[in-house]
Amino acid sequence: MAEPALRLESLVKRFGTHAAVAGIDLAVAPGEFVTLLGPSGCGKTTTLNLIAGFLMPDGGHIELNGRRIEELPPFKRDLGMVFQDYALFPHMTVTDNVAFGLKMRKVATDEIARRVSEALMLVKLDGFGARRPNQLSGGQRQRVALARALVIRPTMLLLDEPLSNLDLKLREEMRTEISTLQRRLGIATVFVTHDQGEALTMSDRIAVMQDGRIEQIGTPADIYERPATRFVASFIGSINMVAGTVAGSAAADGLTRVETAAGPALARVGGNIPSGREVALTIRPERLKLAEPGAAPDGAVAWNATVERVVYTGARLEVQLRLADGTPAMAEMTNDGTAAFETGEAVVAWFRPGDAWVIAAAG
Amino acid sequence: MRSGPWTLLKVTVAAIYLFILGPIAITAAVSFNATNRSFFPPRGFSLRWWGEAFSPQWIQPLMFSLELAALTAIIATVVGVPLAFAFQRYEFPGKAIIRTVTLGPLILPTLVTGIALLQFLTVIGLGRWLGYWALLIGHVIICLPFSVRTIAISLQAMPGSVEQAATNLGAGPLAVLRYVTFPLIMPGVFAGMAFAFIHSFTDINMSLFIARPGQRPVTVAIMSFLDFGFAPTLAALSILSLLIPLVLVALLGRFVGIGNFLYQEQGRG
Amino acid sequence: MLTSTAPPGRLVPYLLVALPATFLLVFFVIPTAFLLSASFIESDGVIMTGVWTTANYTDLLSRPLYQQAILRTFMIGLGVGVTVVVLSYPLAYFLVRTPSRWRGLLIALSLSPLLASVIVRTYGWWVILNREGAVNSALLTLGLIDQPLVLLPSSMAIIIGLSHALLPYGVLTIMASLNGLNPNLERAAMSLGAGRARTFLTVTLPLTWPGIIGGFLLAFAVAISAYATPAILGGPGTQVMATLIRSFMVQALDWALGSAMGAILLVSSILLLVLTSALGNRRTA
Repeated sequence: MAEPALRLESLVKRFGTHAAVAGIDLAVAPGEFVTLLGPSGCGKTTTLNLIAGFLMPDGGHIELNGRRIEELPPFKRDLGMVFQDYALFPHMTVTDNVAFGLKMRKVATDEIARRVSEALMLVKLDGFGARRPNQLSGGQRQRVALARALVIRPTMLLLDEPLSNLDLKLREEMRTEISTLQRRLGIATVFVTHDQGEALTMSDRIAVMQDGRIEQIGTPADIYERPATRFVASFIGSINMVAGTVAGSAAADGLTRVETAAGPALARVGGNIPSGREVALTIRPERLKLAEPGAAPDGAVAWNATVERVVYTGARLEVQLRLADGTPAMAEMTNDGTAAFETGEAVVAWFRPGDAWVIAAAG
Repeated sequence: MRSGPWTLLKVTVAAIYLFILGPIAITAAVSFNATNRSFFPPRGFSLRWWGEAFSPQWIQPLMFSLELAALTAIIATVVGVPLAFAFQRYEFPGKAIIRTVTLGPLILPTLVTGIALLQFLTVIGLGRWLGYWALLIGHVIICLPFSVRTIAISLQAMPGSVEQAATNLGAGPLAVLRYVTFPLIMPGVFAGMAFAFIHSFTDINMSLFIARPGQRPVTVAIMSFLDFGFAPTLAALSILSLLIPLVLVALLGRFVGIGNFLYQEQGRG
Repeated sequence: MLTSTAPPGRLVPYLLVALPATFLLVFFVIPTAFLLSASFIESDGVIMTGVWTTANYTDLLSRPLYQQAILRTFMIGLGVGVTVVVLSYPLAYFLVRTPSRWRGLLIALSLSPLLASVIVRTYGWWVILNREGAVNSALLTLGLIDQPLVLLPSSMAIIIGLSHALLPYGVLTIMASLNGLNPNLERAAMSLGAGRARTFLTVTLPLTWPGIIGGFLLAFAVAISAYATPAILGGPGTQVMATLIRSFMVQALDWALGSAMGAILLVSSILLLVLTSALGNRRTA
């Protein structure tokens, strides 16, 4: 990786005795879109406020393009930020809002006019310059906030849950729009959200946070398919988790044998987990298939199960199961008209060894 | 669905409005009496009591009240802005005490604050301050809570993220104050100024003890004249002194939108 | 929490408050403290002798004239508090719930007495209640009485006048607590089978009780220290603490008794305030 646009090194922030950010290391490459994802109180917003300079860290460093900035006041950091409530200046027009950062930088008047109209064009708001924020819709306010942050050509962009105040349809539209704009401008971006859907669809990489630490950082596929911890596995999407013990060491194909109460299984592992270690075997519901007893394909791991309930969600069916040992599980399938399961029915729940993933870490 | 009980409530409320506005309307009517007694309904119609209300005897205290209230409002605002900032934006040792002392006059009986000031100034040998200077000091003390509270409310009502956004866009602390904070709290500052003005203009409990002949607000002048009877002039004068704050509030409501603040100035405790 | 937008520096808040705090210390805190201590000092007219004594208080509390005035003051405060609450509750309820587009105007109208000096407001009551006033002339014209009623001076007139003057405080306090009430709670009660009256008595009223108490105590506290209304609508037979203080300080020039009476008034107000905030804290707890 080239010199990162942003580097956080052992960053710590305490409120009283509580460490809201408990030692974070993170590098954002130039042009990269990194999301801080986590439940409320996980420290993601605090981290963003530390980067922006609204909070002073109690330890660690923040580097922007190789330059330490943790001592700089926020108005000298040159970071564009979009706030959760947009924070548009209510007493200024759209034009004045967008022009504000340029005025503070003492840019010449005619250049301000040119760049403001460019920025408004970029967010498809040309012609709205004379309006006041209270005359705009939520989506339009969002665009003004984005234009205001981008017009100063900041070193990087910080987005603090910018979509959370929009309604569902608009939120999905803005997801695509922000992503497209970010890639076109190639600006390094840190995005804070508690919405896994936004994180998965928009990010180059996601950092999942919990209790002030990064639990795992990786591409959306890494996070979803190869979760490092139980927290990451259960925070994103739904997942079946069965307790088990590793039996033997991983083979060359990356598979290992796991004994579980529901039955023996083969599953993928990352690295080498010693034999006898207590682990969690995880399978995403869409990878867990159902068949008539005895009808599981060869090479699959097959467990006996009972259908407890079938939940109809339209395009999909969720079949709630109970495994032989009593562990609850769920299989999700396309509602293509072929599946017909009834409550109380005995079935086999099967999966390919490559579709199961072993989590070694405790917690 | 809002039939029986709601109609009953409406009738009750109409009666309460009559109770609220009746005495003021009656005072207005009385001022047009042709006789020299305050009859209601008025006997005859004449404007002579209004003419008398504009005579030097009454215009002098009226102007004195206006000047005192205006000066009080300006001082209370100039002092109130930094106080409100300190209370709203900083944590510092002694804050709770200073805050209590600032808002105290709102809660303590003004009458007692007045006699305390009278006694204190006399005892330390500044008795000659009684009249103009004592009035100004006393009025600033009792009007300060109004401006501080109103400005503090407007500071609190402003989303913190707006100032952060300005900082993020490169505005230093002073630029944030100039371009963002002050423009946004202006309605609150004006509202606070209006409250201070009205509170000073309508005060009697403070002025009663520290005013001196020739330096008397109109309320004290009316009060002492009442010893000689209830002439319709006083009714005219009362209405006149009601119109002044009314016009002020109407103007401010129109130009800086202080309507919201009148409502927020609730439950003084 | 995020304070970085305010100019940094530990001295800044002190620079902001130094001047006003000094001003208030000199002209408000010290004089008030002085008044309290003066109430324990013997005085010869307006001259303090420097001899400590509690005689000022025993004087005030033992002479029937003063006892009656103190008692009357608190009775008037009680009457005003109750009247204000009784009148402002329906008004506040209406103002909070009315769908009328004149709502803003109606609220402004109900608070408009705040713009008038208490003298203006009391004057009208004198016109209504005096011997030749509106009430008597109406009753005489209707032939309901032969002789004008003596409505003034009286404690009742003082209670009416003060209730009128302090009504806006009650309206504001009760409106605030009604505004804070989730309307779904009333709907929930009705959906569970409670009638309109029952819903009001078992849900609305208990939940707005703090506002009622707050309005009552506020009106009470202001009423016991009011001067103008008792002076205009009362007379020598209806002295209250405030009018006595005035005669001690200005006519009798007995500053010791004036200070002591002021101190009683001050302490009563503070006690009421403590009571209000204690009840307020229980509400938010």
